[in-house]
Amino acid sequence: MAQLVREIMIKATPETIWPFLTEPDSLVGWHGTVAEIDPRPGGIYRVLVAGQFQSAGEYVEVVPMEKVVFTFGWDEDDHPIPPGSTTIEITLHPEGDKTRVRLVHSGLPADAVDDHGRGWAHYLERLAVRVAGGDPGPDRGSAGEA
Amino acid sequence: MVWMRELPATDIADHFAEVTRSAISQHLTVLKTAGLVTERRDGTRRLYRADRNEMKNLRKFLDEFWTSGLERLRDVAEAAQRDKEKR
Repeated sequence: MAQLVREIMIKATPETIWPFLTEPDSLVGWHGTVAEIDPRPGGIYRVLVAGQFQSAGEYVEVVPMEKVVFTFGWDEDDHPIPPGSTTIEITLHPEGDKTRVRLVHSGLPADAVDDHGRGWAHYLERLAVRVAGGDPGPDRGSAGEA
Repeated sequence: MVWMRELPATDIADHFAEVTRSAISQHLTVLKTAGLVTERRDGTRRLYRADRNEMKNLRKFLDEFWTSGLERLRDVAEAAQRDKEKR
């Protein structure tokens, strides 16, 4: 199992950042377009990313202004990361008038990647088109493309 | 699409009728920056194909996914902080 760690320094207090992690309308200001989230242990996490990719999981731990932990995966057939299969922990660490935001994505199936490389290639292309503001058209699956 | 063969950007764009050329170009730049496709020049054309070794690297994709996500979070949170301080 692999994990990925990303950090960023933000010139804002944890109180300012917190709603962007836990309130649907604020969350979609930076991540996804449609968020159905219930940030309490056992609550659902469903965020539509790049207009059509449904990420899904469940909240595990929520500590106001400090920490949010949820399971995460993609609600797509045959996806290497199925819903709830990995865990994301976002923590807020105040440093003066700034806050260090740390994201740890753990439980990644590094050994499953080879089998699904083709599927990923397909979805990466579609995702990137979406991210660039385009429409990749109806999804016919990776088998339908040359 | 570029998984099995190399294609010029214009052919790639033709596969996505609804997408502008500039969006396709941005998309290819994102993939190229992430090391997921390779670009080769043939005269005035730019040819692209998937880098299958790199494409297997899910970690790289997620790295880019979360890095850009956190950068957007920074932008919106800093804007919200500035708004609070003005009041």
